[in-house]
Amino acid sequence: MTTVNPITVEIIRNALTSVADEMNATLIRSAYTPIIYEMKDCSVALLDADHAVLGQSAGLPIFLGNLEACTEAIEEQFGREAWEPGDVWIMNDPYVTGTHLHDMTVMAPIFTADETELLGFATSRAHWLDVGSKDPGGTIDSVDVFQEGLRLSPVRVVEGGVQVKSLTQAIGRNSRFYHGAIGDLGAQIACCNTGARRLPEIFERFGAETVLAARDEIFRQSEQIERDFISRVPDGEYRAEGTIDSDGATDEPVAVRLRLVIDGDTMHVDLTETDDARPGPVNCGATQAVAAARVAYKLLIDPDSPPNGGSFRSLTVDVREGSLVGAVEPFPVEWYFTPLGLLIDLVVKALSDVVPDRAAAASYGDSMVIFLSGVDPETKAPWLHVEPTVGGWGAWDGSDGQDAMINNVNGSLKDMPIEVLETKFPLRIRRYGYRTDSSGHGRYRGGVGVSREFELLADATVSTWFERSRTPAWGLSGGLDATGPDVVINPDTPDEVHALKSANVALKKGDVIRTMTGGGGGFGDPKERDHELVANDVAIGVISEDTARSVYGLGEN
Amino acid sequence: MSRYRVSMDIGGTFTDAVAYDEETGQYTAGKASTTPGQLTTGVRNAMGNVVDELADLSFIVHGTTQGLNAFLQRRGEKVLLLASDGAGDVYQIARGHRTALYEIQYRKPEPLVTRSDTVEIGGRLDPAGAEVAPLSEGDLVAAAEAFRGGGYTSIAVAFLFSYENSAHELAAEAILRRELGDQVPISLSHRLAREWREYERTSTAVLDAYTAPIVRTYLEELSEGLAEDGLGVPLHIMQSSGGIITAAAARDHTVQTLLSGPVGGAMGGVSLSRLTGRKNLICVDMGGTSFDVSLIVDGEADVDTEAALEGFPLLMPVVNIYTVGAGGGSVGYTEAGGLRVGPRSAGADPGPACYGRGGTEPTVTDANVALGRVDPSAFADGEFALDPDLAREALMPIGAELGLDVTAMAQGVLDVVNAKMAQAIRTLTVEKGIEPADFALVAFGGAGPMHAAFLAEELGIDTMLVPRFPGAFSAWGMLETKLRRDTARGFPYALEGADLLSLQKIFGELGDEVAAQVASEGVEGDAIDVRHAIDARYIGQEYTLTVPVGSPDGVDTPEWPASIKAAFDALHQSRFGHSNADAPIEFVIARATAFGDLGRAEPRPLEGADVQLDLSPRPVSFDGTDHDTPVVARDDLAPGTTLAGPVVITEATATTVIPPNWRLDVDAFGTVTAHRTTDNA
Repeated sequence: MTTVNPITVEIIRNALTSVADEMNATLIRSAYTPIIYEMKDCSVALLDADHAVLGQSAGLPIFLGNLEACTEAIEEQFGREAWEPGDVWIMNDPYVTGTHLHDMTVMAPIFTADETELLGFATSRAHWLDVGSKDPGGTIDSVDVFQEGLRLSPVRVVEGGVQVKSLTQAIGRNSRFYHGAIGDLGAQIACCNTGARRLPEIFERFGAETVLAARDEIFRQSEQIERDFISRVPDGEYRAEGTIDSDGATDEPVAVRLRLVIDGDTMHVDLTETDDARPGPVNCGATQAVAAARVAYKLLIDPDSPPNGGSFRSLTVDVREGSLVGAVEPFPVEWYFTPLGLLIDLVVKALSDVVPDRAAAASYGDSMVIFLSGVDPETKAPWLHVEPTVGGWGAWDGSDGQDAMINNVNGSLKDMPIEVLETKFPLRIRRYGYRTDSSGHGRYRGGVGVSREFELLADATVSTWFERSRTPAWGLSGGLDATGPDVVINPDTPDEVHALKSANVALKKGDVIRTMTGGGGGFGDPKERDHELVANDVAIGVISEDTARSVYGLGEN
Repeated sequence: MSRYRVSMDIGGTFTDAVAYDEETGQYTAGKASTTPGQLTTGVRNAMGNVVDELADLSFIVHGTTQGLNAFLQRRGEKVLLLASDGAGDVYQIARGHRTALYEIQYRKPEPLVTRSDTVEIGGRLDPAGAEVAPLSEGDLVAAAEAFRGGGYTSIAVAFLFSYENSAHELAAEAILRRELGDQVPISLSHRLAREWREYERTSTAVLDAYTAPIVRTYLEELSEGLAEDGLGVPLHIMQSSGGIITAAAARDHTVQTLLSGPVGGAMGGVSLSRLTGRKNLICVDMGGTSFDVSLIVDGEADVDTEAALEGFPLLMPVVNIYTVGAGGGSVGYTEAGGLRVGPRSAGADPGPACYGRGGTEPTVTDANVALGRVDPSAFADGEFALDPDLAREALMPIGAELGLDVTAMAQGVLDVVNAKMAQAIRTLTVEKGIEPADFALVAFGGAGPMHAAFLAEELGIDTMLVPRFPGAFSAWGMLETKLRRDTARGFPYALEGADLLSLQKIFGELGDEVAAQVASEGVEGDAIDVRHAIDARYIGQEYTLTVPVGSPDGVDTPEWPASIKAAFDALHQSRFGHSNADAPIEFVIARATAFGDLGRAEPRPLEGADVQLDLSPRPVSFDGTDHDTPVVARDDLAPGTTLAGPVVITEATATTVIPPNWRLDVDAFGTVTAHRTTDNA
């Protein structure tokens, strides 16, 4: 076995990560869709010839560590000889990728300059705005995958360096936003090309033997860091469970159940007790459930260093086929991330007592999305607006949670400015601000959610996906749970209707929709909160005087 | 007798001054200790080192960090924020944005005004600027009352759609003046940024309200002090945009001087580009605890239409300065048997082990010292001596763990940090769509010239430049910048169907506005250059590109739509690597910028001083081997000098390391130009 000096190992480790960063920069800068370049709803990975991750740059946390499932699936089906220099493949089959049809995975084999030897793969995944689902931009109430849009099993979109025009067009024609789809595909191909150019440079500079020996050492280091950390967590079985409100198609709560076993330097995540797959679109493929478990593991164990082929060797995940998180054809998967967001929070909750310095109380928990669409009365042009809503994040030992922040799985997305929204759409925002008393109370209080009030200046159709009213953000160590979300159409009128989840509701000019997001959970006993801080919370209107008295004991002595 | 052009730049430790003598065509640099609390003293001392009489000045420009420091140290004004009814929390929500993806214990930046410092004012406009609800005078009177009773010292006003119709903000100002008098500082959002996006505009107004009164007081004191000393020309101030403005004009646009100090280095890059004829430069400024990169592309600074300061957005043109690492303070350590360097930094306190202030962890500076690349007695202008023994001691434990001797360990720490910094630069160039090998590397700051050759090798760059005053590069760069004024107005329409006559009219008005501003600062005729541009994007995109428009005369011609579309496609292709000729575009914001040319230094070649170089070597380690390396004083390097590496060049503020496979030339203006002689990348 070749031994490589530690300096070269570290330089190669950084170089491989850097290739992934460059791929990611290429993708984000050239993407068409804001969901990619602002929500960072994308991920790239550089793989070796055995499909092990050499470098990864995320992107959305939830995409962590599962792009290799796609190259492995291609090889399994078509054999290793399927890989040809200059080819690029695309797929979005959710039962392989684990996510929904919006997420296109584009990947290229990487060869040596003389094209004789396969060195690895450049892979990217990104969320496309529209892939031809029954409703524009996505579905709330789909009952099978066929209502959710175009489904591609693996296919070559570039052959020998030439993009296949006929297939490209056919893919584009399945989107309501042809230019966006073609543009995002172009960005993903450019991203893979960046990886395919840079990896051979590293092999040439250091020599294949050195790179591969360094790879083994890099993997060993990552594995050791993780095993060392888990060894310090007390052995035992940890459990947590929670529900999502409903599956969109029916109104029953759906339970995610987690059993987590720490044994020596290993962690086992057992999801088999989670509910069966549902008729509505909240299911996900097993690959993505594994990815979500990896995200939670990473958040707790080693948030700062980029993952690689040595990561997650001490983690096993058990998923039951046919369950909510082990979906099979034809179960619908559009909102696959709703149970996964809950799953990640539950892993943190299960371990919060034994890893207190990395934990926090729960956040408001889901993207809280409103869809508004109609026909502009002046231009007669159809319009569509989709926006996630900010909410409160959980407190932790030492700090209040953050007020009004975007959901964990929405990357660095920003909310939609009132001035941009009103200029583009026949809508008026009557009020956008903190929602008093929405946070979970505690010695450290959770962040507050918001209330956002839309007035329709023309007839419009509304759909909503607001979650976690049945399992609002929980507190930790004696901190209280937060208030859950609410959506009210025409609030404070006799016609008032609550509509946390709704599909294609026709509304009239002058109607008002008030969306309210939940807060974050509190940490520690609220009676222990410094009364000066409580008084300040009242002064700035984040909690009411009643709450200050009844929950925090302000005024008692 | 006015013959000197002078610039000065205030740093944390030193105030630098550079003077250009129009008679001799030569520069002089000088410095004095910065005098916190009484900055004008330090400024006058530094100027005294480069000119005898202030009456001799023909031009003076200043980069100030007053506002920036007040912000960074959070000792700005106590600001009352007035916002539209129903939108008072916009500033607190800060668009719900976060910058770390894997952090459940994330904290947003602490806002500069709290929720209880915010008053909602009745009144509402629609997107076209038409009034939906009238402005509430009662609310404003109540706000004035709150101001008086709350210990406030400054007011920011940011109403929805004020960029489209300023009437409500102006009326609010009049009522506040009536109630509170003329002395109260009031920052109106539309005056500072006539662009949509209420949070970003509010943040700009708040930053102005928070810092401007302090800067105005400082500039008044400085101007008066300099006038007393005999200065007969107006004081100019560097703006964040890389252009300058008179101190008098800065009163109304104070926030635009916020990054006055930091952008100086990039403007030094622009000047060096002109002096050397090299169009494309990557400028690295490496100090004890910082590593900043700026880009000069095609001879011009890389200017964005907005920036963020510790997370707070600023809607105004700002020269991009990218902070990509921790500089000489980066700590080397081991993890799971592997070596890591940074991002953790030893900071200024305790600092590197060799500072002798109690630091025990090995840093990049310690590695440089251990290899003999820094003269321990001549560091930081001889302010304090470095201890090479402490540097070696700090490196020993990790060396022992990794099986490396001290020299190999020190070399390893440098190899890793150089590779990481080079990779950060490479990622930046990928984002910008440029190829680093087409650039020359410019190094300044105390540690930049120590690492630059190694960074260049990693990036495939063959040439590195070390300017004549690497410690006063910012001040030197400011000497040659032009007056600059910017303005903008929303034009949110698709190209197809846009009212181009109206766009032409807007361009005309914007151009007249900035031209008049520059003219009022004493520039006339051909010396005023007005440029127009428009922010555009493919319909469906969010980010925009700023496309130069040339003369607005052609905007209403039948050919214009096709030509602006082609220009946009070409720009998109070059920035992002792809474009789409079939996809329709839309406009967002129309812009105009006026430059006023104040003339510039026409430096003459230096005299070739007849100094016999002392080339007696000392051992310096490169790649694990000691090389006999001459250590020469920068002042002794006469124009025309050529030396083969390895060479170490020392001067008061910086150390330059030329490795064995490089050679250096000193050009006629004293710039050290080093070329790679072997290809080992």
